Amino acid sequence: MDVQKVDMFIMSNGKFFASHQINIIRDRLIALDDSKWAMLLTTQFKDPTTTLIISILAGSLGIDRFMIGDTGLGVGKLLTCGGFGVWAIIDWFMIQTATREKNMQKIQQFL
Amino acid sequence: MTLDRNKLYSILLVACLVGYIWLYFSITNNITENISVEVCIIKYLTNIPCPSCGSTRSLISLTNGDFIGALSFNPIGYLIATIMLIAPIWVIVDTINRTKTLFDFYLKIETYLKRPKIAIPLIMLVIINWIWNITKGL
Repeated sequence: MDVQKVDMFIMSNGKFFASHQINIIRDRLIALDDSKWAMLLTTQFKDPTTTLIISILAGSLGIDRFMIGDTGLGVGKLLTCGGFGVWAIIDWFMIQTATREKNMQKIQQFL
Repeated sequence: MTLDRNKLYSILLVACLVGYIWLYFSITNNITENISVEVCIIKYLTNIPCPSCGSTRSLISLTNGDFIGALSFNPIGYLIATIMLIAPIWVIVDTINRTKTLFDFYLKIETYLKRPKIAIPLIMLVIINWIWNITKGL
């Protein structure tokens, strides 16, 4: 794919991925076929900042976990009042990394 | 930290262990009113019970054989009791046999729960239960 296109993609979507993975994504995207470009552009990624806000506000109900697609863990958090409140606090620090991992999984199907 | 079999099993085992220890202390100390309230952040900050408030009291009633009392405290107690009874046994059987039936079951349930037809009624149930919790004044 066109280097300019890929750089544009990285610039506008870089915040959705972990910083150490951006170089790999860039290399893979350059090697990618041009026909996947439209699909890539329409893919929705979850914003780590949004999930952090959700986690702080409604973390003990597990809504942050539901949002990024970890339904099972979300149910667990909901049933235990956010893991007795401990898990909810741990997730304030974990949820951004978890969101970036989920985004990486999402883009992996194109790479 | 993608979820794999061993991670899920350790999370489940730790959660069940903490649950049993918590239940043991709640029963032996005979404190059914105060401690369970303190542990919940939402209840502590806003004085409004959260959807799963009262499940400790519900489980204590279940261990005393008071099934109707458990239902009136919080029906979620039944769900937690089922998970706490089944999950450790399933995890141990899976580890002995070196299979991953529970992990496959978990993934299946997860995709099942994501369907709007299933998810929306369940969300409504949780919200109704929550409203009931608030009106009960747990």
